[in-house]
Amino acid sequence: MLLRLQGISKRFGRDWVVRDLSFTLERGEVVALLGPNGSGKTTLLRLMAGLLKPTRGQVERAGRTLFLPNPPAFHRHLTAREHLLYDLAFHHQGKEPEEALDRFGLPGDLPLYAFSSGMKKRLALARLTLLFPDIWLLDEPETALDKGGRELLLATLAEARKKAGVVLATHDRTLAERVADRTLELGVA
Amino acid sequence: MLKVAQPDRPDALTWVFLGLGLLLLPVGLYLALSAPPDVNQGYLVRIMYLHVPGAWLGYLAFFVTFLYSLLYLFRRDPRHDRVASSSAEIGLVFMGLALVTGMLWARPTWGVYWTWEPRLTTTAILFAVYVGYFLLRGAIEDPELRRKAAAAVGILGFINVPISYMSVKWWRSLHQTQSIDLTTGKIHMDPAMLQALLFNLLVFTLLYLGFVRFRSLLAALEARKEEA
Amino acid sequence: MKLPVEGWPEVSGQGRVGAVRRVVLLALRDLRLEVRDRAGLLSILAFFAVMLFIMALALGPEEEPLRRAAPGVLWVALAFGSTLLSTRAFALEVEEGTLDDLLLAPGGKEWIYFGKLLFQMLLLLPLAALALLMAAGLFYLPLERLFPLFLTLVLGVLGYASVATFYAGLLARLRGREVLLPLLLFSLVVPVVLASVRATTGLAEGLPVAEISDWWQLLLVFDVVYLTASALLFPVVMEG
Repeated sequence: MLLRLQGISKRFGRDWVVRDLSFTLERGEVVALLGPNGSGKTTLLRLMAGLLKPTRGQVERAGRTLFLPNPPAFHRHLTAREHLLYDLAFHHQGKEPEEALDRFGLPGDLPLYAFSSGMKKRLALARLTLLFPDIWLLDEPETALDKGGRELLLATLAEARKKAGVVLATHDRTLAERVADRTLELGVA
Repeated sequence: MLKVAQPDRPDALTWVFLGLGLLLLPVGLYLALSAPPDVNQGYLVRIMYLHVPGAWLGYLAFFVTFLYSLLYLFRRDPRHDRVASSSAEIGLVFMGLALVTGMLWARPTWGVYWTWEPRLTTTAILFAVYVGYFLLRGAIEDPELRRKAAAAVGILGFINVPISYMSVKWWRSLHQTQSIDLTTGKIHMDPAMLQALLFNLLVFTLLYLGFVRFRSLLAALEARKEEA
Repeated sequence: MKLPVEGWPEVSGQGRVGAVRRVVLLALRDLRLEVRDRAGLLSILAFFAVMLFIMALALGPEEEPLRRAAPGVLWVALAFGSTLLSTRAFALEVEEGTLDDLLLAPGGKEWIYFGKLLFQMLLLLPLAALALLMAAGLFYLPLERLFPLFLTLVLGVLGYASVATFYAGLLARLRGREVLLPLLLFSLVVPVVLASVRATTGLAEGLPVAEISDWWQLLLVFDVVYLTASALLFPVVMEG
């Protein structure tokens, strides 16, 4: 088991965003988080990542975790290659990013402020394939991607599924149906 | 976690502390006012009976905050945080009392309201640190982050005390101006005076213990209301 | 424009990057960002210049009062500069949403503290040296004993930065609360101000090093105590 949530509740001020939720993730699984805007998908992903602590309940992780926010977060004054190299170093890894840059069709020497949102999404996916965590938490990964980008996303998810576990929050039910083994619906309580 | 009976009212021990403290307060006052005046300072020395216990309890209170902050970081039990913040609150009151009485004492004795005396200055710094403690608590909505941040400030603030004290002491000694010692150093202690001082110290301590317990209970009740 | 990739660790297939390395890389990355986004560097330099200038106007124009006030003015300017810079060190991350990425890196989070601290030191020390030169010019501060003066700068700036980094990290996640930083910071760094000013004054007056060393010792104690405490407490306040 890669990830376990037991009786998770989260409150911001007086609002309960998540109420008594339990969930597990196994290696090789892809789970889709569905629900309308404001139903707490992002909050739940962040709770899973450990970026937020639950008000009640426990979160246990058995592996390295990465979270891909929407929109992805990058330093605009770094180039794509620099960004990847620094990130690899911070994760104690000494890989080469060239192959990944090629595969995702990204210009390594272009600074991030010149990237379109679609390119940034692809760079974020490239980053994930390089760092390859055990738990992938993706927040609306399909947004801003064109057809080519979407293919890359599907290929990436297929790769991730082999060795890791994936939770993705999405609005796109077709995508969910296509890739997910199961879904978790969040409602506006 | 053990299911402890959640009290709605102050327990017996709290009432004992508060009751005893309040009852003995007039006794302490009487002793203070009936103690003989000082050889040098005359009746003015009687501010000491408020100033010294106030300072002592202020420092004790912040030390308790420091201890419970450490405890909280190790055990993550919200009760420890409640004691820490209650103690800091009471400590702020005592510290304020010590500062004000210190200034009132300094004025007729030395002609100035403020002097860079090491103890007074360190007390003022500590006061500012704990005002910051409460401002920070007020600024953080998430309860757990609030507790952790407060605990951190409680620790960083207290370890500052010896360092601040030394730095102010050295800083002043270079100027060779008069060392204004507002406490017992320059006062010849008549046994009656010592008795009055110690008695008032006891009264203040009882009140402190009672107030901290009471305030912690209030904090627990507040927390329970939030959880609902 | 082809930008060379400098200063990378040995990359050879399964190369590992050590703990100290990533602290240094974080600091260098932030420096690189600061240099590319020139606005930041220049504004801090401008801040020092303006502050020293205004204080000189307020306290001058006679030489004697200016010379006596110089150490105090210099260190107050450095205190404010340190506050500004520490806020910047984290504000950039929050702005871009990249703080999460740092927090999700493996291992304990102390490395982020040290990386950000190193970044500030690398930036503040040259700026402090420049501020010292400005003070020498505007306030007639004698600069004969450059090395001891620089040592004082290092010890003092480290004192400010060690606490400022901690608080800046803590407050970064609370939007709009950076106003608390001066209050929280200044109440703790009183010993640094006193010791640095006294040491600088002593050096300016030509006192022998033996007499200044007490102040350096105090600064060193402060630095060690607060560096350790802040580094230990930083991960606690940066988790969820």
